[in-house]
Amino acid sequence: MLNLWMRTSALISLLVVVVMLGFLLQQSWPYWQHDGLNPLLSGDWYPYEHLFGLAAAIIGSFWAALIALAIAIPTGLAAAVMSTEILPGPWRSLMRSGMELLAGIPSVVYGLLGLWILLPLLQSNLHLLTGHNLLAAGLLLSVMVLPTIMVMTQDALCEVSSHQRDTAASLGMGWSARLWRVLLPQAWPGIRSGILLALGRALGETMAVMLVVGSMDRIPDPWYNLLAPAQTLTSRIGREIGESAFGSMHFSALMACGLLLALITITISMLAHIRSDKISVNRP
Amino acid sequence: MNTKKKITAIAAAAPQQVAAHDAGDISLHASRLSLALEGKNILRDISFSLPAQGINVLIGPSGAGKSTLLRCLNMLHTQWQGDLQIMGRDVRKWPDSEDGLRRTIGLIAQKPTLFPCSIQQNIVFGLSRKDRNHMPENRIKKVLKQAALWDEVKNRLHDQAATLSVGQQQRLCIARALMLSPNMLLLDEPTASLDPRSRQFIEASLLELSENMPVLCVTHDIEQAKRLGGKIIFMCDGRLIESGDSKLFFKHPNRIESREFLRWSVCDCS
Ligand SMILES: Nc1ncnc2c1ncn2[C@@H]1O[C@H](COP(=O)(O)OP(=O)(O)O)[C@@H](O)[C@H]1O
Ligand SMILES: [Mg+2]
Repeated sequence: MLNLWMRTSALISLLVVVVMLGFLLQQSWPYWQHDGLNPLLSGDWYPYEHLFGLAAAIIGSFWAALIALAIAIPTGLAAAVMSTEILPGPWRSLMRSGMELLAGIPSVVYGLLGLWILLPLLQSNLHLLTGHNLLAAGLLLSVMVLPTIMVMTQDALCEVSSHQRDTAASLGMGWSARLWRVLLPQAWPGIRSGILLALGRALGETMAVMLVVGSMDRIPDPWYNLLAPAQTLTSRIGREIGESAFGSMHFSALMACGLLLALITITISMLAHIRSDKISVNRP
Repeated sequence: MNTKKKITAIAAAAPQQVAAHDAGDISLHASRLSLALEGKNILRDISFSLPAQGINVLIGPSGAGKSTLLRCLNMLHTQWQGDLQIMGRDVRKWPDSEDGLRRTIGLIAQKPTLFPCSIQQNIVFGLSRKDRNHMPENRIKKVLKQAALWDEVKNRLHDQAATLSVGQQQRLCIARALMLSPNMLLLDEPTASLDPRSRQFIEASLLELSENMPVLCVTHDIEQAKRLGGKIIFMCDGRLIESGDSKLFFKHPNRIESREFLRWSVCDCS
């Protein structure tokens, strides 16, 4: 009975994914038909001139996620190690509940905080015309994905058995050797899942990013210029879907953005669930 | 008045045989070790010493505090009271900290615990990076022979350690501890869940190792204690009840708790 129920629900969720992808594909079909995969390489997005290049938004999405992870991975790992391995019990649970609180705050609130605090700070400190840019989006996202990385790392570290810890200590390994050669390698599968989930969240986050990214369709120029207003896939859909006529090419192009996002995030979460059978740990 | 105080002090210390031996032929000297965990007294006033070589068997019913005592000796528990000298030095003032102390003491836990990597990588796991990468083959061979494991693994040093049987894993743990050239070896019920063949191997290699360093082997198995011989330390309910020559202990146990334990393998001190 339970078995049947589990199978049915697994089947249903699979079906939902397939139906959703099918719907996105169907709605964006006119767009793909019009120009094939060429728009993936073009940065020009001018709906009124029927130019719908996706490159600027794709690059923007990846930049924002990359900045977020570059900050959140070291910070999250350090916070998790600190709280599970160093801090005494009460502090540990305090830090953990703090992180869980952070994870529970609606993203629009983050967006507003970014708008009021982060943007003016960036603008005045970096002498910019506007603080709306990819760096702002990345910084904001790094705070939003930090709890995911930290909580998953904490859980993974807690799963390393006391036998392993005691054995490493009995061999006279110092604290840093135990951390780098026993704790982190053995916790790695869990940490990796946390990072991939965080990446998925960073790519998929809409509201907060939309409020701070600037929503200008320009490929960063030069490629590392993160201080100019830019666009992400999510912010484009969020901002423009209301003004596009159902069935128009504009609408179809936005659906194509949605399809891309769905494909990317599904791939990432599938990667997060694959755990290598052979946990190879020792990297000498 | 002053003399009287002195005499009382000596009288109090006398049963503990404080500093009765030279540091020269004593590798470890514990006096009045006590430990309370979570408000419970686990060890009470334990005093004993290990000579510079030979086998010592720490025996007692389960829950006596044997494992806890071993963990105190290499500072996995640090909250104990009392005095502990190893190689004539106070362990609390060890020059290169607890890590250095632990390299001096090879402690082998009851549950064989290997790291998820190859047999060879496990053997050198405790060494510095430089030593791990440049460890001569014959050093590895030597410790594996000492641990009576060489013949079984010589052709598969690069296999995953987890592919070994539990008995082989325990011997690998011994080899790994020996790799650090410890000055003594402490083993917590090393054969508790092993097949008879591995047990024989381990007992034989412990006897051989004890010719060069003190070996302290914990067991709750009376037969094993008889086989190993040497010196015996009998513990029950966190107390050291009786210690001395193994043959004498089994022939003429002095204390009623010892007789009870030898007869029933349990004893109700508490
Ligand atoms: N970390 C701990 N906290 C509290 N009590 C402990 C702890 N470790 C061991 N004990 C208690 O100490 C006693 C002795 O345990 P142990 O040293 O494992 O005995 P043995 O090895 O002789 O079987 C047991 O009653 C056990 O419950
Ligand atoms: Mg025990």
